This record gives sequence, C-alpha cells and structure tokens, in this order.
Amino acid sequence: MALPSALDPQQAWARFEPDARQPWTLALAGHLYRRAAFGASWPQLQRALAEGPQKTLDGLLRPAADVAAFNRQLDEYETPPGDDRSATELRAWWLQRMLRTPHPLLEKLTLFWHGHCAADNAKAESAPAMQHYLQGLRRHALGDFRALLAGLVREAAMFASHQAKANRKIQPSPGLARWLLEAHLETAAEPDVREAARAFTGWFIYADGLRYIEREHDAGSKQVLGRTGNFDGDDIARLVLEQPATAATVVRKLYRWLISESAEPEAALLAPLVMAYAKNYDTFALVETMLRSNLFFSPSAVRQRVKSPVEYALGLVQGLELSIATQPLGDALAGLGQSLLHPPTVKGWSGGRNWLNPATVAGRLRLADALLRGGPYIENLNLAAIAQKHGQPAASFFAKLYLQDETTPGHEPDARRAAYATAAQPEFQLA
Amino acid sequence: MLALAASAPRLLTRSALALTPGKDETILVVLQLSGGNDGLNTVIPFADDLYHQSRPTLRQVAAQAQRINDQLAFHPRMEGFARLHAEGQLAIVQGVGHAKSDRNHPGALHMWHTAEPQPPGPPTGWLGRAADQLWNPDSANLPAAFIGAIPQPFASNAERVIVPSLRTSRDLVCPPEEPLAAGPGAALLDHARQATAAAQATSRRIEAVRRAGAGDYPQYRLADELRTIAQLIRADAGIRIYFTELGGGGIGGFDNHAGQLGNHCSLLEQLSASIAAFARDLQRDQLFDRVALLTFSEFGRTLHENGRRGTGHGSAQPVFVAGGRVQGGLVGVHPSLADLDQDAQKVHTDFRRVYATLLDRWLGLDSRVVLGAPYAPVAFLRA
Repeated sequence: MALPSALDPQQAWARFEPDARQPWTLALAGHLYRRAAFGASWPQLQRALAEGPQKTLDGLLRPAADVAAFNRQLDEYETPPGDDRSATELRAWWLQRMLRTPHPLLEKLTLFWHGHCAADNAKAESAPAMQHYLQGLRRHALGDFRALLAGLVREAAMFASHQAKANRKIQPSPGLARWLLEAHLETAAEPDVREAARAFTGWFIYADGLRYIEREHDAGSKQVLGRTGNFDGDDIARLVLEQPATAATVVRKLYRWLISESAEPEAALLAPLVMAYAKNYDTFALVETMLRSNLFFSPSAVRQRVKSPVEYALGLVQGLELSIATQPLGDALAGLGQSLLHPPTVKGWSGGRNWLNPATVAGRLRLADALLRGGPYIENLNLAAIAQKHGQPAASFFAKLYLQDETTPGHEPDARRAAYATAAQPEFQLA
Repeated sequence: MLALAASAPRLLTRSALALTPGKDETILVVLQLSGGNDGLNTVIPFADDLYHQSRPTLRQVAAQAQRINDQLAFHPRMEGFARLHAEGQLAIVQGVGHAKSDRNHPGALHMWHTAEPQPPGPPTGWLGRAADQLWNPDSANLPAAFIGAIPQPFASNAERVIVPSLRTSRDLVCPPEEPLAAGPGAALLDHARQATAAAQATSRRIEAVRRAGAGDYPQYRLADELRTIAQLIRADAGIRIYFTELGGGGIGGFDNHAGQLGNHCSLLEQLSASIAAFARDLQRDQLFDRVALLTFSEFGRTLHENGRRGTGHGSAQPVFVAGGRVQGGLVGVHPSLADLDQDAQKVHTDFRRVYATLLDRWLGLDSRVVLGAPYAPVAFLRA
C-alpha cells in the first residue's frame, strides 16, 4: 500500500487526537497493542477503548508498576544456582518476560535490538554471555542508543557472533568492525573495515568472558571514515554515531518495526525524526513520537506488517490470560523461523513477507490449533469460560478479541473452533 | 445452469493447478553422510594390491560381486547402487574435496556447508544461498526444506528464506480448514491470503498422496525420509531443494575409528537400499527424471586401517549423483593409492565444481552468485 503522496511530515507525526472523522475504535486499540506490546487481553482492550489512545500510550510508555523490580526478579529466575543455564532456558524465560512484564514495550524494543545487533548463541556457545548481552539490550532498549552501542562493542557475545574471538595485533578479525559499519552506514569501504578492525585488536574471549590484552592492541594510527587517530573499539562506535547515516538507518528500521513494512517511507517524511534522533539518540523519544502519531493510527500503518512468529503466538496467548509453558513454545517458534538468541545471520531476521511460505503458514496454523487445544503449552484451557467471564458469547468473542472484528456474527458455537477460525484468518497473520 | 454447475468444480481444479508451483521443475536432493565416509570401502579398488595390503581386516574380498569395471566395485552390500549404475542412473564422481580441507569434523563440514575452504567463510550455507536465489517472497513459494529430526546442518542456513525442518510430510498438513473471510484487502493482506491458500492447497495434495499409499521402502530412517521427499515431490509441494542426512548428525555414524566393518556395512546397505527404493518409487511415474540426488561426506578416510580395525580422517572421497537424467558411470580417475597425502587419497576435483554443475545445469541458477566464483562443470548430467 502506497503512502498518501502528499503526506505532510508535520501532520503525520503530530499527536493523534480522535475525532468524528477518525474515531477511536476497538480496531485501533488492538493495533496499538499489537505494535507497542505483544497483543492484548479483553480487559486491556476495553480499558484502552475507555481511556483513549494517548492515555493508553501513557501507560504503555511509562507503566505505573515497578518494572525494575519485575526485571530483577526475572533476572534471578534466569540465573539458577550452580550456573547451569542453557540458551533454551534463557529463551523460555525471555518469552515469559514478554508475556508477564508490566512494560511490554520495553521487551518489544529489546526484540527489535536483538534483530539489529544480532548475537547468536550458536557462535557464542555461552548462555551467560547471551544473558549478559540480552540484559544490555534491555537496559538501553528505550534509552540512549549511544550507550547501547558502547556496551555492545565490549560484549563477548557480539565478538563471538562476528567471528572475532581473538583479535590479535598481527591478525585483526574484521567481523565486528564490518558489522558496525555495514549495519549503520549505507556502505562500508574495505579500507575502513580493515582499519576499524585494527582498533578492536587486544580483545580476546576466554572461558570466563572477554578480556583486554594491552600488548595485543595495535596502538598505531588508523584512518576510519575520514578521521585519523589512535582509535580503539569504543572510538569506532563513536565515529559511527557521528555519521549522519546512522540515525537515518535506525529511524528507518524502527519505522518498519513500529509503523509499516509495506511501503518505503520518503526521506522527507522521516527527516524530522532523523534530525531529532541524531542529536542525542534518545530512543524513547523517537518511539514515543512514532506511537503517538497520526500516521501510526492511520490506514498506512494498520495491518501493514507481517507478524513475526513471536507476535503471532504471543498475540494468541495474551488473549487467553493464562500462563503457558514457554520452553516448547520457544522450540515451536524456532521451527517457524524465529529461534530467539539464534538468528539466521548477524543481519538478524529479514522478516516481512519472508515470514510466510507454505511451510511456515501450515506451521502457524498447526501451532494455533495446538495452543487453542492446550497441547503441551497450556493446562486446563477452557476457552468457553474465558468468553463467559467477560460476558460474551463464545461464537463472536474471539473474532472481537483477536481481530477486533465486531461484524462476524459467529456461526460456530464451539469456542475452540470459533477461536481457531479467527487465528486461521490471513488477517491474523498481520500485525 | 447444469453446464455451469458441472464446470464449476473444474474451474476450481484449474485455479488450484495454477497455484501449483512448477510441475516440471527440476529438484535437487542433497544427502549428508555424517562422520566422514570411507570411500575406499564404498567404491573398492579390488584389483589394487595396495588396498589389500593396507587393510588386512577391513578389506572386502567378496568385492567383485558388485563390479563397476575391472578395477572397481561397490561394497558387496550395495546391490541397489549396482543396479542403479547398471541402469545408467548413478554417477560416481571420484577424488572430490579440497586439497586444503580441514581434517577435523566441524571444520570440514563447515567447508562443505558454506562452499568455502577458508574459515570463517560466509554467514550462510550454499543450499541456503541457492534457496534465497529461488525465493520469491511475493509468490510465497517454498524453495527448500530439510527432512529429518536432527538440528538443521548449516548448509541450508539462508538469509531470507525460512527453510523448515520436516520430520514427515504431515508437518505440512494444515488443521481442518475454516472458511476464510473475503473482502477488500491491501497488498499485504492479499499476500497473507495467497500464502494461506498455497499452504492449504499443498496440504490437500499431500493428504491425497498419503492416502494413495506409502510405497515400498525398507525399514530405515533414511528410507522414511526419502519416502517423505517422494511424497512431497508427488504432491507438487514446489520444493526445489531437499536436504537430508544419514549418520545421525554431529560426529556421525560414518566416523569409524574402531571396529568399522559391521557398522560401515550396515550404513552402506541403508544408503544403497534407501536410495534404490526412492528411485524405484519415483520411476513409476517418470518423476525420477526431475530429481538429481547428491551424496557428500565431510571427508574420505585414510588408506591404512589402524590398530583398532578402523580408519582415520582422510581427504578425497567419491560422491554419488543419482537421477533419471544423470549421465551414469565413473567420472574422473580413482585417486592413486601410491600417491597419498598423509595416508589419504588426494583430491583432484574441487567439490565446488560439483556444486556449480548442479546449480547451473540442474537448478538453472547462476552458480557464481551462490559460490562467489565460477567453477568448471563436471560431466555427470545428460545433455
């Protein structure tokens, strides 16, 4: 879908205030929870409908609950005594966190950064290193991107994922340097990559983590991105952040994540956001502008993304208001192409239309069917009781809950079949 | 009215067929033999004294039973391969590998998977890159699938395509269909509708094929996996690249450092009988003409048996290509047993030449895009 050609950036990014022409609806509340969270329960949708978009966003951006305490507790769950963590358990805890957190937007952005700065446990082969990496992403997910990047260039999981476990003076490993340049600038020239790799020499991964060996650092002068100096890895991150392309790249990527992946936005549309972001890399402010905007609540954004497997499955689960076994769910999601902590390449998941092929669609439908039967995921699932609790007939409840479809009369009185019929709709594949 | 009623189902069938991706397209099946297959006891130089001298307990004395020519024979348990070879549907490409190949399992496997001998190599596998080339996100086809229960080996790692791991053809069968809502849709919704319709059409065809019967296969895991592939080919699942494995993944069953004899015999019989059954099944309706099946292992093995009646990690190996349009027979010379590299036969054919031949001349892709450089073809396909 093309964007309206005369989209005025100022109008597009201005706060959405519903009026008679563009009313606040259940459909828009569902849209907001699909993008700023991992879907919604019926009470959440009802409260959002009553409170309006901006007040709902206040709660999604700055939840009243003690988020830090929640995350501290989950950090503890993730770290069992005896240090026998596995990446599969870590993945399962992350899915629990996404489902239970009082601040789902923070996890949504953590997932975004996991795709952008994609570390891979298959290379790191260390659950503690992956946990440390993930905690770093979460700490800065809605904060200062400069701090996020500064942390990442000292992250063992990142060095390992970029085949840079040993960065010797005489044999620099170009992986991490190449990623920093390629992921943020439009192009990365080989000489820049080579010189930047020299800046990262001295870092080595040992059994207990990343260590800096002074005598292995190449302290000579390097030329990177038109600048000359005795740079180290931290400096390379700083130089990347000074490039105007970096802010533009992150804003464009976040636009695809939060607003639309069906149309490439004009540079002029993003310009005001890029300018603001380049000043202090305040991710929170950028996300807030996007989510509160007219554009976000317009037809140019609604259902203009394909759900990732995580979004597809958690969207179903959130509506059920029940706890779920996330270890088998993590495996199922891996089968659908989204193995958390194990992205296909350091470029993360390409997503969009790539999510859907006949095997992954069949897999999604089979997963929905299994989830809605309880399967290995949910004990004592009673779908009819959920509809009943909210005073809704089962036949039409799930279409309202999952698709915000208030017109389907619902011929199917069986709650499970009614719920599955909703999840099987092509529309439900879209976020 | 009657005429209309009668033609309506046909219209439906025809539009379903239109959704059927490429009914005549070629299909590549790649079979990994995990652990390092002993090529010298697979394609046996029975006339060479050095073979018999070097392998006092492992040598096959009854080898002549499955003769290829007056020098070479298949392992006696490989009747299926001998028959396929006699029918001209099995090529034996000798001396394949890379001179600088790592002799450790992970390094050697990584080379075969990435198509790059120099580590760390590209971030994707060669089959994954081929799948990315075949991928059209707008049509939501399914270019490639791994068939098996082990974690997917790296060869199929793709940047864009999601390559599913399927244990059986049932994994592509959708739950009972629910009516889909119609109505106006934007581009992305149409895409989701098309993908759903394609999944359901594939699902229906697979169910029909499964109902039609299981085919005649021996009771091996590999045979089950090849049967699954045959079912998916028959159901026109549109998959162009199938990847499967024998030996159990990891450091696999072909890694026989001790007591090799019985274990290797059994694996070769599974290999030969399963592929022969697969060929017979597909030959029934000319589908074997659409298939080229390649076997590879991470390396061959040493000439001399060790003190524990096993062999060590080697270098060159024979790879097999089976299919209805394969140019059967021996390709390239059997690497000399008198001119060895650390007790292993030397490579004379870069493995990427085999890949390039299959990519260019079988799948119709540009091998340079997948392999990063041009490689001269090897003559194992009929013109």
